[in-house]
Amino acid sequence: MSTFSQLTNLTWASLADKPVLETGATVLAFLAATRLSRLGSGHPLLNPTLLAIILVSLGLEATNIPYETYLRGADAIHFMLGPAVVLLAVPLFRQRAVVRASLRLIVVGLAVGLPVGILSAVGIAWMLGASSRTILSLAPKSVTAGIAVGISEQIGGLQTLTVVLVIMTGITGAVLGPIIARLARIEDPRVVGLTMGIASHGIGTARALQINEIAGAFSGLGMSLNGVLTAILLPLVCGLL
Amino acid sequence: MLEQIARVMVWLCVGEIAARSGLLPLPAPVIGLILLYAELAVRRKLPADLGALADRVLQFLGMLFVPAGVGVIAYLDIFKTEALPILAAVIGGTAMTLFVTMVVANRLGTAVARREVREADRIEGAIRDVNL
Repeated sequence: MSTFSQLTNLTWASLADKPVLETGATVLAFLAATRLSRLGSGHPLLNPTLLAIILVSLGLEATNIPYETYLRGADAIHFMLGPAVVLLAVPLFRQRAVVRASLRLIVVGLAVGLPVGILSAVGIAWMLGASSRTILSLAPKSVTAGIAVGISEQIGGLQTLTVVLVIMTGITGAVLGPIIARLARIEDPRVVGLTMGIASHGIGTARALQINEIAGAFSGLGMSLNGVLTAILLPLVCGLL
Repeated sequence: MLEQIARVMVWLCVGEIAARSGLLPLPAPVIGLILLYAELAVRRKLPADLGALADRVLQFLGMLFVPAGVGVIAYLDIFKTEALPILAAVIGGTAMTLFVTMVVANRLGTAVARREVREADRIEGAIRDVNL
């Protein structure tokens, strides 16, 4: 193929086989979800991510578009997660003075949140008679997906199941985080953010960023530290058992 | 702005190389986050348009999880047989983690800071009293 035809191909290629529909539908669904959430004055149950997932899924059901087709098309949006996570360094850097003054809070949060996150899930699943493979897949559920998959494989869980559980945990934490903070009468954005990051990784962090920048910075920090420490500790503990 | 996009992509790429070579057992974006933070810490200054870029992108961070979330619905039947223990563990476990961590971290983690604030208030009050 000549350079010229390659160039015309690049410029004039039909949009039909490009992921315009999937990407556009995702953006529109999230826009609608954000409006809906605002209409409900930001009620935690009206989480934009959750609403957008429901809207897109309903759309796929209605139009009979297979999930695989959608996921392939929406890969452009999924890809943006990488650069976005890197950018979490910015709120963290802006709030570095507050972070430095809160070392004790961060250590306590991790010392409690990391084990409780694992043991509560493992304990409940075990009591209700889940299979050991399911329990092992559940163990890293609070950790960001990229790390959780590696841990799951190491300790004998099922990677696909872990990804599903990680995302469910993220959405649960994003919805319940502000509700539980209100119930427990906790207003310190450092505590709420850190906890949401530890319990529900990036999806919780996306929600914490909506509270304010301090909550977002602490959430990103909680997510990162919890991920790194769980990756080191969980396989070690599983090896000892 | 382009410079900042390049900066983010470069750190993400370095992260990808470090992750794939097995140098660090972490996903590329987390390594990229650490590297960008390290760069900012060394520079001691946040470029204004990097701040603007982060604010823009992080505002719709929640949207970037939508494709993965839709994927979860497609996979829901993989745990048909264990739906109850799984749902209870995810929802109950996450609620318990949030509650316990928030309460304990709030009590123990911020106690010192609060005592310091009270101490500062007391000293300030004493100074005020003296001045009066």
